[in-house]
Amino acid sequence: MPFGSATEVEEALRRESYLPDRGLATAVYLALAMRRPLLLEGEAGVGKTEVGKTLARILGAELVRLQCYEGIDAAQALYEWDYARQLLYARALQAGEVSVDERVAELYGPDFLVERPVLHALRAGSAAVLLVDELDRADDEFEAFLLEVLSDFTVTVPELGTIAADEPPVVVITSNRTRELHDALKRRCLYHWIEFPDVEREAEIIRLRVPGVEAELARSVAETVARLRALDLVKRPGAAEAIDWAAALSLVGAPAAAGEAARETLGAAVKNREDQARVEAAWAEVVD
Amino acid sequence: MVASDPYGTLVRFGRALRAEGLPVGPDRVAELGRAAALLEPDELYWAGRTTVVSRPEQIPVYDAVFGRFFGPPVPMPGPPLVLRIRAEVEEDVGLASRIELLREKSFSRCTREELLELAELMSRIDLVVPRRRTRRREPARSGAPDLRRTLRRSFRTGGDPLERAWRRRRRRPRRLILLLDVSGSMDAYSRALVLFAHAALRSDRRFEAFCFGTRLTRVTRQLEGPNPDDALRRAAAEVLDWDGGTRIGECLERFLDEYGHGGLARGAVVVICSDGLDVGDPELLGEAIARLSRLAHRVVWLNPLKEDPAYAPLARGMQAALPHVDLFASGHNLASLEAVGKALAR
Repeated sequence: MPFGSATEVEEALRRESYLPDRGLATAVYLALAMRRPLLLEGEAGVGKTEVGKTLARILGAELVRLQCYEGIDAAQALYEWDYARQLLYARALQAGEVSVDERVAELYGPDFLVERPVLHALRAGSAAVLLVDELDRADDEFEAFLLEVLSDFTVTVPELGTIAADEPPVVVITSNRTRELHDALKRRCLYHWIEFPDVEREAEIIRLRVPGVEAELARSVAETVARLRALDLVKRPGAAEAIDWAAALSLVGAPAAAGEAARETLGAAVKNREDQARVEAAWAEVVD
Repeated sequence: MVASDPYGTLVRFGRALRAEGLPVGPDRVAELGRAAALLEPDELYWAGRTTVVSRPEQIPVYDAVFGRFFGPPVPMPGPPLVLRIRAEVEEDVGLASRIELLREKSFSRCTREELLELAELMSRIDLVVPRRRTRRREPARSGAPDLRRTLRRSFRTGGDPLERAWRRRRRRPRRLILLLDVSGSMDAYSRALVLFAHAALRSDRRFEAFCFGTRLTRVTRQLEGPNPDDALRRAAAEVLDWDGGTRIGECLERFLDEYGHGGLARGAVVVICSDGLDVGDPELLGEAIARLSRLAHRVVWLNPLKEDPAYAPLARGMQAALPHVDLFASGHNLASLEAVGKALAR
């Protein structure tokens, strides 16, 4: 455990250009100290995935990312046998091309095992950060499987035996909340709901992420994006959109998010036709 | 305060949270204790936020209880309204023809007992939702080669892959989402429709139900469990705007923003049960339905007013919505719901 307090975590994240609020820093600190998976929920674009990535950099650990999708199953998360190679090997065995001491048992040996993210992370142990991204997209069965893995950090491959992590990897799970995750899974995790950053912090994030951006422009973008979020939009712009917009405005040399420059670059922040129409209608109050 | 008996205080705190409906068991309280021990005393708030809170709706409740225990109080949410179920007396009908009559009887004229009887019949409606291809594959008689099973079978023939196996993309039923209007004008039908939702939800765990009037409430969880009467009661406790006004357009927008665009409605079959009498902006409704129809596989609108053969969709909201609706039916009695169930499969 490289950190002694939540403040130290906050400072470390800041050094890696991720500006957490106090709650997130505390949640990360607790997850590391209590060795619990950290479940992060929040709207798209608030930087959930970024937490996992940044944490891997800070800890000098390998980032192992498992992107979830509907229909993902254990074979894609854990391991699979390399069937084509097994088939060739079996043929070679039969044709006598493989010497006797290379036994048939090798057919299901480590050579033919294709490691997928979860198994890889378990083997790497504390040298890895396992990022389970958008778990809400996966099915219930997959969630149950993941719960099993996270409960004792061991996995059993029938042909090889049990693989256990000496020290469990750091686990970060993100969800966009398109469906409610199961309580059993939540009970295994520490939970944090990430809010949109306030104007101060957002301006700071923009300054950190967009090289050469004027402080005034960063502030103006942060304020405008905050007003955009207050509109009833289909897709509220996240921090990523604010960064893109600031970068676009900076490129065209605009001093602030206003006027023609703002209109021409709005696509960086608002990416839905109905939303653009809505922003256009409220242009005077929101942007200018 | 915490100083005198820290563990006792946390246990009482946990109990108070549980009394407010947060799922805080002894294991959670122990976690809270561990977290609190790792943090500074002034960080106790966050120790609890990460360990006993597990969804955003719980945050205001947590804040309020935390305020009561350790700091300045936060305003509490209003008390939930209670559903009233009208019990009307009606003459007895011979048992033999009873079910037949019930099938054709408009929900608006059913007594509470009849509704519960109907709930039983509803659970037998065969809801066949169209299927979609998933990424997962399953064994099949033809399709793409299945190397895993081919290899397994080759062992039987001495390593020669003589018997080949095939697999294809699995097909799964699409998600069904029910959006039920529980406003005052739907009063006579809303309970029956909630019972219908309860029956539908039991046929597939991925189905979802929402109630709306002036606001949108997800009731999927409340409708879990085998007993329709209990489910109805739980749903009523959750829905705060039962028998109030209607703002369909706004509620649909809410649904799309909070759930639909996240993926819930994508490729789904969405059934809206409403009379279309909207006090909100009809343009907004048209826009919302248009958005919904682009996301969903199919949009079905059940309007009990259609029971009357003379009904014409004159309400401006209904008119704005209809061009984007794939199937428009009445759903005012069991026979009609059965017909809808069949039509969905196409």
